[in-house]
Amino acid sequence: MTRLDRRYAWVRQLAAFAAVLAVWEAAGRAGMLNPLYAPSPSRVGAALIDLFSDGRIWPHLEATFSAALGGLALGIAVGVLLGVVAALVPFIAELLEPVMTVLNAIPRVILAPLFVIWLGIGLASKVALSFILVAVLIFFTVFTGIRQVDRRLVERVVTLGGDRWALVRHVYLPSVASWVLGNLKIAVGFAFTGACVGEFVAATEGLGYLLSFAQSTFNAALMFALILLILAVVLVIFGLAGRLEKHLLRWN
Amino acid sequence: MGDGSFVSLVGPSGSGKSSLLRAVIGLQQPLAGTVETGLARSQVGILFQDDALLPWKTARDNVALGLTFNGMERRKALAEADAWLERLDLAGFGDRFPRRLSGGQRKRVALAQVLAMKPRLLLMDEPFASLDAIVRARVVKDLVALVERETISVLLVTHDLEEALTLSDEVYLLSQGPRARITEHYPVPIPRPRDPVLSRTHPAFAPLYERLWADLSRAVDQRVEAA
Repeated sequence: MTRLDRRYAWVRQLAAFAAVLAVWEAAGRAGMLNPLYAPSPSRVGAALIDLFSDGRIWPHLEATFSAALGGLALGIAVGVLLGVVAALVPFIAELLEPVMTVLNAIPRVILAPLFVIWLGIGLASKVALSFILVAVLIFFTVFTGIRQVDRRLVERVVTLGGDRWALVRHVYLPSVASWVLGNLKIAVGFAFTGACVGEFVAATEGLGYLLSFAQSTFNAALMFALILLILAVVLVIFGLAGRLEKHLLRWN
Repeated sequence: MGDGSFVSLVGPSGSGKSSLLRAVIGLQQPLAGTVETGLARSQVGILFQDDALLPWKTARDNVALGLTFNGMERRKALAEADAWLERLDLAGFGDRFPRRLSGGQRKRVALAQVLAMKPRLLLMDEPFASLDAIVRARVVKDLVALVERETISVLLVTHDLEEALTLSDEVYLLSQGPRARITEHYPVPIPRPRDPVLSRTHPAFAPLYERLWADLSRAVDQRVEAA
Protein backbone atom coordinates (compact mmCIF):
# COMPACT_ATOMS: atom_id res chain seq x y z
CA MET A 1 0.00 0.00 0.00
CA THR A 2 1.32 3.43 -0.88
CA ARG A 3 1.53 6.04 1.83
CA LEU A 4 -0.67 9.07 1.44
CA ASP A 5 0.70 12.54 2.00
CA ARG A 6 -1.63 13.79 4.72
CA ARG A 7 -1.12 17.42 3.75
CA TYR A 8 -3.10 16.89 0.58
CA ALA A 9 -6.00 15.01 2.17
CA TRP A 10 -8.31 17.97 1.51
CA VAL A 11 -7.44 17.91 -2.20
CA ARG A 12 -8.46 14.26 -2.47
CA GLN A 13 -11.60 14.83 -0.39
CA LEU A 14 -12.58 17.76 -2.58
CA ALA A 15 -11.91 15.80 -5.77
CA ALA A 16 -14.00 12.87 -4.54
CA PHE A 17 -16.83 15.23 -3.61
CA ALA A 18 -16.68 16.88 -7.04
CA ALA A 19 -16.73 13.46 -8.68
CA VAL A 20 -19.86 12.44 -6.76
CA LEU A 21 -21.55 15.69 -7.78
CA ALA A 22 -20.55 15.15 -11.42
CA VAL A 23 -21.94 11.60 -11.45
CA TRP A 24 -25.10 12.83 -9.75
CA GLU A 25 -25.49 15.63 -12.28
CA ALA A 26 -24.85 13.29 -15.21
CA ALA A 27 -27.33 10.72 -13.90
CA GLY A 28 -29.91 13.47 -13.51
CA ARG A 29 -29.42 14.75 -17.04
CA ALA A 30 -29.53 11.23 -18.45
CA GLY A 31 -32.96 10.89 -16.89
CA MET A 32 -31.87 8.18 -14.47
CA LEU A 33 -32.98 10.12 -11.37
CA ASN A 34 -36.45 11.40 -10.67
CA PRO A 35 -36.01 15.18 -10.11
CA LEU A 36 -38.93 15.08 -7.72
CA TYR A 37 -36.86 13.06 -5.22
CA ALA A 38 -33.27 13.69 -6.17
CA PRO A 39 -32.87 16.98 -8.00
CA SER A 40 -29.53 17.33 -9.76
CA PRO A 41 -26.89 19.61 -8.20
CA SER A 42 -27.51 22.26 -10.83
CA ARG A 43 -31.20 22.46 -9.86
CA VAL A 44 -30.29 22.71 -6.20
CA GLY A 45 -27.79 25.45 -7.07
CA ALA A 46 -30.45 27.29 -9.04
CA ALA A 47 -32.87 27.09 -6.10
CA LEU A 48 -30.16 28.45 -3.82
CA ILE A 49 -29.42 31.36 -6.14
CA ASP A 50 -33.13 31.97 -6.43
CA LEU A 51 -33.46 32.33 -2.66
CA PHE A 52 -30.86 35.07 -2.58
CA SER A 53 -31.56 36.83 -5.87
CA ASP A 54 -34.96 38.13 -4.89
CA GLY A 55 -33.82 38.80 -1.32
CA ARG A 56 -36.66 36.91 0.31
CA ILE A 57 -34.22 34.70 2.22
CA TRP A 58 -32.91 37.51 4.44
CA PRO A 59 -35.84 37.85 6.86
CA HIS A 60 -35.78 34.07 7.28
CA LEU A 61 -32.06 34.01 7.96
CA GLU A 62 -32.48 36.85 10.41
CA ALA A 63 -35.28 35.04 12.24
CA THR A 64 -33.27 31.85 12.62
CA PHE A 65 -30.13 33.71 13.67
CA SER A 66 -32.01 35.77 16.24
CA ALA A 67 -33.60 32.68 17.73
CA ALA A 68 -30.37 30.67 17.80
CA LEU A 69 -28.09 33.40 19.11
CA GLY A 70 -30.69 34.60 21.62
CA GLY A 71 -31.14 31.06 22.91
CA LEU A 72 -27.38 30.53 22.95
CA ALA A 73 -26.67 33.67 24.98
CA LEU A 74 -29.51 33.07 27.42
CA GLY A 75 -28.68 29.37 27.69
CA ILE A 76 -25.02 30.02 28.51
CA ALA A 77 -25.86 32.76 31.02
CA VAL A 78 -28.50 30.73 32.85
CA GLY A 79 -26.55 27.46 32.54
CA VAL A 80 -23.43 29.00 34.09
CA LEU A 81 -25.42 30.73 36.83
CA LEU A 82 -27.36 27.61 37.83
CA GLY A 83 -24.25 25.43 37.52
CA VAL A 84 -22.23 27.70 39.81
CA VAL A 85 -25.02 28.07 42.35
CA ALA A 86 -25.71 24.33 42.38
CA ALA A 87 -22.03 23.54 42.80
CA LEU A 88 -21.70 25.93 45.74
CA VAL A 89 -25.05 25.41 47.52
CA PRO A 90 -25.81 21.72 48.21
CA PHE A 91 -29.47 22.50 48.91
CA ILE A 92 -29.92 23.95 45.41
CA ALA A 93 -28.01 21.04 43.86
CA GLU A 94 -30.39 18.63 45.55
CA LEU A 95 -33.37 20.32 43.92
CA LEU A 96 -31.85 21.07 40.52
CA GLU A 97 -29.93 17.92 39.75
CA PRO A 98 -32.91 15.56 39.26
CA VAL A 99 -34.73 18.11 37.09
CA MET A 100 -31.66 18.68 34.97
CA THR A 101 -30.95 14.95 34.74
CA VAL A 102 -34.45 14.34 33.41
CA LEU A 103 -34.17 17.26 30.98
CA ASN A 104 -30.82 15.91 29.88
CA ALA A 105 -32.18 12.41 29.33
CA ILE A 106 -35.17 13.32 27.16
CA PRO A 107 -34.83 14.65 23.63
CA ARG A 108 -35.55 18.23 24.60
CA VAL A 109 -36.98 19.12 21.19
CA ILE A 110 -40.20 17.35 22.25
CA LEU A 111 -40.86 20.48 24.28
CA ALA A 112 -41.30 22.50 21.07
CA PRO A 113 -45.11 22.14 20.81
CA LEU A 114 -45.43 23.10 24.47
CA PHE A 115 -43.44 26.28 23.92
CA VAL A 116 -45.68 27.15 20.98
CA ILE A 117 -48.75 26.87 23.19
CA TRP A 118 -47.12 28.91 25.92
CA LEU A 119 -45.29 31.53 23.90
CA GLY A 120 -47.02 31.63 20.51
CA ILE A 121 -45.62 30.98 17.07
CA GLY A 122 -43.31 34.03 17.16
CA LEU A 123 -39.64 34.33 18.02
CA ALA A 124 -40.08 33.64 21.74
CA SER A 125 -40.93 29.94 21.39
CA LYS A 126 -37.84 29.37 19.21
CA VAL A 127 -35.57 31.19 21.62
CA ALA A 128 -37.06 29.10 24.41
CA LEU A 129 -36.30 25.83 22.64
CA SER A 130 -32.75 26.90 21.79
CA PHE A 131 -32.34 28.08 25.34
CA ILE A 132 -33.44 24.85 26.97
CA LEU A 133 -31.17 22.80 24.70
CA VAL A 134 -28.13 24.95 25.52
CA ALA A 135 -28.83 25.66 29.19
CA VAL A 136 -28.95 21.99 30.23
CA LEU A 137 -25.70 21.26 28.42
CA ILE A 138 -23.93 24.23 30.00
CA PHE A 139 -25.39 23.51 33.44
CA PHE A 140 -23.81 20.06 33.54
CA THR A 141 -20.56 21.33 32.09
CA VAL A 142 -20.22 23.91 34.85
CA PHE A 143 -21.73 21.86 37.66
CA THR A 144 -19.50 18.85 37.20
CA GLY A 145 -16.58 21.09 36.25
CA ILE A 146 -16.54 23.08 39.47
CA ARG A 147 -16.53 19.89 41.49
CA GLN A 148 -13.48 18.78 39.58
CA VAL A 149 -11.48 21.97 39.96
CA ASP A 150 -7.90 20.97 40.58
CA ARG A 151 -7.46 20.87 44.37
CA ARG A 152 -3.78 21.57 43.94
CA LEU A 153 -4.49 24.91 42.29
CA VAL A 154 -6.86 25.84 45.09
CA GLU A 155 -4.23 24.96 47.69
CA ARG A 156 -1.56 26.82 45.75
CA VAL A 157 -3.61 30.04 45.74
CA VAL A 158 -4.57 29.65 49.39
CA THR A 159 -0.98 29.07 50.52
CA LEU A 160 0.14 32.13 48.57
CA GLY A 161 -2.27 34.15 50.70
CA GLY A 162 -5.24 34.33 48.33
CA ASP A 163 -8.67 34.90 49.88
CA ARG A 164 -12.05 33.60 48.71
CA TRP A 165 -12.39 36.26 46.04
CA ALA A 166 -8.90 35.46 44.74
CA LEU A 167 -9.95 31.81 44.44
CA VAL A 168 -13.05 32.72 42.46
CA ARG A 169 -11.17 35.11 40.22
CA HIS A 170 -7.99 33.16 39.58
CA VAL A 171 -9.12 29.53 39.85
CA TYR A 172 -12.87 29.05 39.56
CA LEU A 173 -13.77 31.59 36.88
CA PRO A 174 -10.96 30.62 34.47
CA SER A 175 -11.83 26.94 34.99
CA VAL A 176 -15.51 27.56 34.27
CA ALA A 177 -14.66 29.69 31.25
CA SER A 178 -12.45 26.98 29.82
CA TRP A 179 -15.14 24.28 30.15
CA VAL A 180 -17.84 26.48 28.67
CA LEU A 181 -15.56 27.41 25.78
CA GLY A 182 -14.68 23.78 25.29
CA ASN A 183 -18.39 23.08 24.78
CA LEU A 184 -19.11 26.20 22.76
CA LYS A 185 -19.25 24.41 19.41
CA ILE A 186 -21.69 21.82 20.72
CA ALA A 187 -23.75 24.63 22.22
CA VAL A 188 -23.83 26.46 18.86
CA GLY A 189 -25.05 23.28 17.17
CA PHE A 190 -27.74 22.86 19.85
CA ALA A 191 -28.83 26.47 19.51
CA PHE A 192 -29.41 26.11 15.75
CA THR A 193 -31.12 22.77 16.25
CA GLY A 194 -33.52 24.43 18.68
CA ALA A 195 -34.21 27.37 16.38
CA CYS A 196 -34.80 25.24 13.25
CA VAL A 197 -36.92 22.60 14.97
CA GLY A 198 -38.98 25.32 16.64
CA GLU A 199 -39.61 26.93 13.27
CA PHE A 200 -40.40 23.56 11.79
CA VAL A 201 -43.15 22.97 14.33
CA ALA A 202 -44.96 26.27 13.98
CA ALA A 203 -43.73 29.58 12.62
CA THR A 204 -44.24 32.22 9.98
CA GLU A 205 -40.60 32.71 9.08
CA GLY A 206 -37.15 31.20 9.49
CA LEU A 207 -35.09 28.52 7.78
CA GLY A 208 -36.99 25.78 9.60
CA TYR A 209 -40.24 27.28 8.42
CA LEU A 210 -38.98 27.33 4.82
CA LEU A 211 -37.98 23.70 5.21
CA SER A 212 -41.45 22.68 6.31
CA PHE A 213 -42.83 24.77 3.43
CA ALA A 214 -40.57 22.90 0.99
CA GLN A 215 -41.79 19.64 2.48
CA SER A 216 -45.47 20.46 2.14
CA THR A 217 -44.98 21.56 -1.48
CA PHE A 218 -42.80 18.56 -2.29
CA ASN A 219 -40.00 20.87 -3.42
CA ALA A 220 -36.89 18.71 -3.06
CA ALA A 221 -34.60 21.21 -4.79
CA LEU A 222 -35.55 23.93 -2.28
CA MET A 223 -35.10 21.47 0.57
CA PHE A 224 -31.58 20.56 -0.54
CA ALA A 225 -30.79 24.24 -1.00
CA LEU A 226 -31.98 25.03 2.53
CA ILE A 227 -30.06 22.13 4.05
CA LEU A 228 -26.92 23.40 2.32
CA LEU A 229 -27.60 26.91 3.56
CA ILE A 230 -28.06 25.81 7.17
CA LEU A 231 -24.91 23.73 6.88
CA ALA A 232 -22.99 26.77 5.64
CA VAL A 233 -24.37 28.99 8.40
CA VAL A 234 -23.46 26.54 11.14
CA LEU A 235 -20.00 25.98 9.65
CA VAL A 236 -19.33 29.72 9.69
CA ILE A 237 -20.47 30.01 13.31
CA PHE A 238 -18.41 26.92 14.19
CA GLY A 239 -15.39 28.60 12.66
CA LEU A 240 -15.96 31.75 14.68
CA ALA A 241 -16.52 29.76 17.87
CA GLY A 242 -13.37 27.77 17.16
CA ARG A 243 -11.32 30.93 16.76
CA LEU A 244 -12.72 32.43 19.94
CA GLU A 245 -11.96 29.20 21.79
CA LYS A 246 -8.44 29.09 20.41
CA HIS A 247 -7.76 32.67 21.39
CA LEU A 248 -9.17 32.48 24.90
CA LEU A 249 -7.70 29.05 25.58
CA ARG A 250 -4.32 29.86 24.06
CA TRP A 251 -2.67 28.81 27.31
CA ASN A 252 -3.88 25.27 26.72
CA MET B 1 14.71 24.59 64.30
CA GLY B 2 17.32 27.34 64.06
CA ASP B 3 17.06 30.39 61.82
CA GLY B 4 18.37 29.64 58.36
CA SER B 5 18.80 25.95 59.06
CA PHE B 6 17.89 23.25 56.61
CA VAL B 7 16.03 20.33 58.17
CA SER B 8 14.78 17.19 56.47
CA LEU B 9 12.13 14.76 57.57
CA VAL B 10 12.43 11.23 56.27
CA GLY B 11 10.29 8.25 57.05
CA PRO B 12 8.27 5.43 55.55
CA SER B 13 5.23 6.22 53.45
CA GLY B 14 2.25 6.90 55.65
CA SER B 15 4.26 8.29 58.54
CA GLY B 16 2.50 11.62 58.12
CA LYS B 17 5.34 13.68 56.69
CA SER B 18 3.13 15.50 54.24
CA SER B 19 0.39 15.98 56.81
CA LEU B 20 2.91 17.65 59.07
CA LEU B 21 3.81 20.17 56.37
CA ARG B 22 0.16 20.78 55.61
CA ALA B 23 -0.49 21.44 59.26
CA VAL B 24 2.39 23.93 59.43
CA ILE B 25 1.04 25.93 56.49
CA GLY B 26 -2.53 25.68 57.72
CA LEU B 27 -4.04 23.50 55.00
CA GLN B 28 -4.90 20.90 57.62
CA GLN B 29 -5.80 21.08 61.29
CA PRO B 30 -3.60 18.99 63.57
CA LEU B 31 -5.68 16.30 65.34
CA ALA B 32 -4.17 17.32 68.64
CA GLY B 33 -1.80 20.02 69.76
CA THR B 34 -0.80 23.16 67.94
CA VAL B 35 1.80 24.22 65.43
CA GLU B 36 4.14 27.03 66.48
CA THR B 37 6.23 28.75 63.86
CA GLY B 38 6.48 32.19 65.43
CA LEU B 39 6.02 33.55 61.94
CA ALA B 40 3.26 35.39 60.12
CA ARG B 41 1.27 33.39 57.61
CA SER B 42 2.89 35.16 54.66
CA GLN B 43 6.37 34.36 55.95
CA VAL B 44 5.88 30.65 55.38
CA GLY B 45 6.07 29.31 51.83
CA ILE B 46 5.40 25.85 50.50
CA LEU B 47 6.62 24.03 47.43
CA PHE B 48 4.52 21.03 46.46
CA GLN B 49 5.51 17.89 44.63
CA ASP B 50 3.82 19.13 41.48
CA ASP B 51 4.38 22.71 40.49
CA ALA B 52 0.64 23.59 40.61
CA LEU B 53 1.07 26.68 38.46
CA LEU B 54 -2.12 28.25 37.19
CA PRO B 55 -2.19 27.03 33.58
CA TRP B 56 -4.02 30.12 32.29
CA LYS B 57 -1.44 32.54 33.65
CA THR B 58 1.97 33.26 32.19
CA ALA B 59 5.10 32.49 34.18
CA ARG B 60 5.37 36.16 35.15
CA ASP B 61 1.74 36.39 36.28
CA ASN B 62 2.12 33.18 38.26
CA VAL B 63 5.13 34.54 40.12
CA ALA B 64 3.43 37.90 40.75
CA LEU B 65 0.30 36.22 42.10
CA GLY B 66 1.34 35.89 45.75
CA LEU B 67 2.79 39.40 45.78
CA THR B 68 -0.49 40.97 44.70
CA PHE B 69 -2.38 38.84 47.24
CA ASN B 70 -0.30 40.50 49.90
CA GLY B 71 -1.09 43.99 48.75
CA MET B 72 1.71 44.80 46.34
CA GLU B 73 0.70 47.01 43.45
CA ARG B 74 0.39 44.99 40.24
CA ARG B 75 3.03 46.78 38.21
CA LYS B 76 5.56 46.52 41.00
CA ALA B 77 4.69 42.85 41.49
CA LEU B 78 5.31 42.13 37.80
CA ALA B 79 8.69 43.86 37.93
CA GLU B 80 9.56 41.87 41.03
CA ALA B 81 8.41 38.69 39.30
CA ASP B 82 10.71 39.38 36.36
CA ALA B 83 13.62 39.91 38.74
CA TRP B 84 12.94 36.53 40.37
CA LEU B 85 12.59 34.76 37.06
CA GLU B 86 15.96 36.18 36.07
CA ARG B 87 17.51 35.04 39.32
CA LEU B 88 16.25 31.53 38.56
CA ASP B 89 17.68 31.52 35.05
CA LEU B 90 14.36 32.13 33.36
CA ALA B 91 14.95 35.60 31.90
CA GLY B 92 12.87 35.89 28.72
CA PHE B 93 10.42 33.15 29.71
CA GLY B 94 8.03 35.46 31.55
CA ASP B 95 5.45 35.47 28.76
CA ARG B 96 5.27 31.71 28.43
CA PHE B 97 2.32 29.74 29.70
CA PRO B 98 3.25 26.78 31.95
CA ARG B 99 2.24 24.37 29.21
CA ARG B 100 5.07 25.70 27.08
CA LEU B 101 7.73 25.27 29.74
CA SER B 102 9.73 22.14 30.49
CA GLY B 103 9.35 20.33 33.81
CA GLY B 104 12.51 21.89 35.17
CA GLN B 105 11.47 25.36 34.05
CA ARG B 106 8.05 24.96 35.65
CA LYS B 107 9.72 23.92 38.87
CA ARG B 108 11.86 27.06 38.71
CA VAL B 109 8.78 29.21 38.17
CA ALA B 110 7.12 27.56 41.17
CA LEU B 111 10.28 28.25 43.16
CA ALA B 112 10.33 31.90 42.04
CA GLN B 113 6.65 32.15 43.01
CA VAL B 114 7.43 31.05 46.55
CA LEU B 115 10.76 32.83 47.02
CA ALA B 116 9.33 36.13 45.72
CA MET B 117 7.22 36.19 48.88
CA LYS B 118 10.45 36.41 50.89
CA PRO B 119 9.53 33.57 53.24
CA ARG B 120 11.44 33.02 56.46
CA LEU B 121 10.47 29.37 56.39
CA LEU B 122 10.20 27.27 53.25
CA LEU B 123 8.35 23.97 53.36
CA MET B 124 9.00 21.45 50.61
CA ASP B 125 7.09 18.24 50.00
CA GLU B 126 9.22 16.04 47.73
CA PRO B 127 9.53 18.97 45.38
CA PHE B 128 11.99 17.41 42.97
CA ALA B 129 10.62 13.89 42.66
CA SER B 130 9.21 14.53 39.19
CA LEU B 131 12.44 15.87 37.66
CA ASP B 132 15.10 13.84 35.89
CA ALA B 133 18.48 13.59 37.60
CA ILE B 134 20.41 16.29 35.75
CA VAL B 135 17.66 18.89 35.77
CA ARG B 136 17.04 18.08 39.38
CA ALA B 137 20.70 18.55 40.36
CA ARG B 138 20.77 21.97 38.71
CA VAL B 139 17.50 23.21 40.21
CA VAL B 140 18.58 21.97 43.64
CA LYS B 141 21.92 23.71 43.35
CA ASP B 142 20.27 27.05 42.56
CA LEU B 143 17.79 26.54 45.35
CA VAL B 144 20.52 25.85 47.88
CA ALA B 145 22.44 28.95 46.80
CA LEU B 146 19.34 31.10 47.19
CA VAL B 147 18.25 29.81 50.59
CA GLU B 148 21.80 30.14 51.89
CA ARG B 149 22.03 33.70 50.63
CA GLU B 150 18.65 34.76 52.00
CA THR B 151 19.04 32.70 55.21
CA ILE B 152 15.70 30.99 54.73
CA SER B 153 14.92 28.07 57.02
CA VAL B 154 13.85 24.99 55.12
CA LEU B 155 11.81 21.99 56.19
CA LEU B 156 12.08 19.31 53.51
CA VAL B 157 10.02 16.15 53.37
CA THR B 158 11.53 13.43 51.23
CA HIS B 159 12.19 9.76 51.06
CA ASP B 160 15.33 10.30 49.10
CA LEU B 161 18.00 9.82 51.79
CA GLU B 162 20.76 11.19 49.60
CA GLU B 163 18.80 14.37 49.01
CA ALA B 164 18.12 14.69 52.71
CA LEU B 165 21.78 14.32 53.71
CA THR B 166 23.37 16.47 51.02
CA LEU B 167 20.99 19.37 51.61
CA SER B 168 20.29 19.37 55.34
CA ASP B 169 21.97 20.50 58.50
CA GLU B 170 19.79 18.04 60.38
CA VAL B 171 17.74 15.02 59.39
CA TYR B 172 14.87 13.61 61.47
CA LEU B 173 13.49 10.12 61.04
CA LEU B 174 9.79 9.49 61.53
CA SER B 175 8.59 6.03 62.53
CA GLN B 176 5.89 4.05 60.78
CA GLY B 177 2.39 5.51 61.14
CA PRO B 178 -0.26 5.66 62.41
CA ARG B 179 0.93 7.51 65.54
CA ALA B 180 4.28 8.12 63.91
CA ARG B 181 6.83 9.94 66.01
CA ILE B 182 10.34 11.22 65.55
CA THR B 183 12.64 8.35 66.45
CA GLU B 184 16.08 9.52 65.37
CA HIS B 185 17.98 12.71 64.79
CA TYR B 186 21.11 13.04 62.65
CA PRO B 187 23.16 16.25 62.56
CA VAL B 188 24.97 16.54 59.22
CA PRO B 189 28.47 18.03 59.69
CA ILE B 190 29.07 18.99 56.05
CA PRO B 191 30.13 22.68 55.99
CA ARG B 192 28.29 25.48 54.16
CA PRO B 193 28.18 26.89 51.56
CA ARG B 194 27.54 23.52 50.02
CA ASP B 195 27.53 22.07 46.61
CA PRO B 196 24.80 19.45 46.83
CA VAL B 197 26.47 17.20 44.27
CA LEU B 198 29.95 17.34 45.79
CA SER B 199 28.58 16.94 49.32
CA ARG B 200 28.28 13.26 48.56
CA THR B 201 32.06 12.97 48.56
CA HIS B 202 32.39 14.46 52.05
CA PRO B 203 33.76 11.86 54.49
CA ALA B 204 30.76 12.28 56.81
CA PHE B 205 28.32 11.35 54.06
CA ALA B 206 28.78 7.60 53.63
CA PRO B 207 28.57 6.55 57.32
CA LEU B 208 25.53 8.77 57.89
CA TYR B 209 23.86 7.38 54.81
CA GLU B 210 24.46 3.82 56.01
CA ARG B 211 23.06 4.56 59.46
CA LEU B 212 20.02 6.35 58.10
CA TRP B 213 19.36 3.56 55.63
CA ALA B 214 19.58 0.88 58.31
CA ASP B 215 17.24 2.80 60.63
CA LEU B 216 14.73 3.49 57.89
CA SER B 217 14.75 -0.17 56.80
CA ARG B 218 14.04 -1.18 60.37
CA ALA B 219 11.11 1.24 60.50
CA VAL B 220 9.70 -0.24 57.31
CA ASP B 221 10.22 -3.81 58.60
CA GLN B 222 8.20 -2.99 61.69
CA ARG B 223 5.32 -2.16 59.43
CA VAL B 224 5.62 -5.50 57.66
CA GLU B 225 5.64 -7.36 60.98
CA ALA B 226 2.71 -5.37 62.28
CA ALA B 227 0.70 -6.18 59.21
